[in-house]
Amino acid sequence: MEGESAFQGYLHRALETFGIETTEEERAVMTGVWSLYEPGMELLRDADLSSVEPEPYPDLSKPPR
Amino acid sequence: MSALDLSLREQAAQIAAGELDAGELLDACLARIEERNPDLNAVIATFPDRSREMLDRAPDGPLRGVPVLIKDEWPLPWRAETVGAASVPGVTLEPGESGPYRALREAGAVIAGVANMHELGSSSTGNTSLYGAAHNPWDLERCPGGSSSGPGAAVAGGLVSGAVGADGLGSIRYPAAYCGLTGLKPTFGRSAMEVHHIANTETIVSGPLCRDAADCRLLASALFGEELPEGQRSGLRIGVIKDPFWSDSAPGIREACESALEALRAEVDGEVVQVDLPDLDMILPAALLVAQAEEAAHLIPQVLNGLSPELGLINRGLLKLRAILPLSLTARALRVRAKVRRDVAALFEEIDLLAWPTVPAIAPSLTEPTIELPSGFESADAGNARQGVIANLTGIPGVSVPVGLDEGMPVALQLLGAWGADALLLDAAEALERATDRKFVELRPAAVA
Repeated sequence: MEGESAFQGYLHRALETFGIETTEEERAVMTGVWSLYEPGMELLRDADLSSVEPEPYPDLSKPPR
Repeated sequence: MSALDLSLREQAAQIAAGELDAGELLDACLARIEERNPDLNAVIATFPDRSREMLDRAPDGPLRGVPVLIKDEWPLPWRAETVGAASVPGVTLEPGESGPYRALREAGAVIAGVANMHELGSSSTGNTSLYGAAHNPWDLERCPGGSSSGPGAAVAGGLVSGAVGADGLGSIRYPAAYCGLTGLKPTFGRSAMEVHHIANTETIVSGPLCRDAADCRLLASALFGEELPEGQRSGLRIGVIKDPFWSDSAPGIREACESALEALRAEVDGEVVQVDLPDLDMILPAALLVAQAEEAAHLIPQVLNGLSPELGLINRGLLKLRAILPLSLTARALRVRAKVRRDVAALFEEIDLLAWPTVPAIAPSLTEPTIELPSGFESADAGNARQGVIANLTGIPGVSVPVGLDEGMPVALQLLGAWGADALLLDAAEALERATDRKFVELRPAAVA
């Protein structure tokens, strides 16, 4: 769609693919919230986590083993 | 002075000594709710017969006969929770014996009513609820904080001396800060949580909002099912991460918190040390994703396409957005959590406490919850979450302590401790109260003074 941002393109395709119905107002909220989320999500997406060991069976009540 | 204006521990002690009639105290509490709640909208349900029944059957516990409120996030045997919403998508809510209810009953407390909350717990402001927003007693046009908006507004408004809230991404500490209260986010798993509608949560805890740390200790002990011992602390090493937690807080907030930090350091003969924590920018997105994933199992098209029209527009959009966020992001968020937990554990090898402002600006207006920070205008949610979510992502405890006023509104310092350091945090909060002659925990909003 002309003038559509990358997120809006993803939004339309994802909603259609999963069969999630939305109103125009809801899509506006989703776009607005994503604009707040986007910088942090990009950081997460692009971070080099290859050296980070996962924490199996984490117990959040205690420090990591 | 009404007995309602006594501390939780004074009420409990006077009832135990036979100096205060618990039935009369409950009647006074219910009358005060009738009188003040139209302005505060902090309480969404009372049930005098059930409350009197609890009182009649109250065991001889540490809170025997003391009226308290519970956030609309847990069921009671006679009332299903509503989580501040017309419905909780994909979840059937029913009356039941929740962990906090059981803990309060076993301590002898009397649940006088259910406290309002932000719809589905989805904001730090408290400005949206099925029942209408709760109002901040310090300024009725301002946010009380969320999502435990009702507990905050009710205790600050003098309806009760203690209330049980829930903290999933800061939801006890923000209303405590906005309303001038002390609020404890316990170490994950220490406080009663049974029958919460998010059964698999790794971020949410129940905890107390009270006027001071000693009352928080009493109520937290009930929720923990074990006494949190009081101790005199000295030589505490207090870690400070200046940027962004201090540097990007409003000047009035920063100044009051700096004064409080110095007062605490002097009181405990401690040391303030500058410390670093890597990957700070990834903590907020990781925490959001981890917390949102806990509820995501219900976010299927059949549920999302049938959302109640009474559910707020923001939540309808948020829920649908969560359903389409890439799984890879959540997986990476869990990897970040593992790293942050290790980094935080290493940090607490060097220090006893971390300290920074609980919220970076005073409570914003209910109609436009934005704040002005040195970095620019920001949504209150974004600014608050930056300060608060590390405790939920990692599981560590945190306490918000009132330390001043800015533009007539409360300012609060947050102290974070290592896993299990809940008692240490309350000891430090009490030391801070002593260091400031208790003047900030004794402050009352003009409307209720």
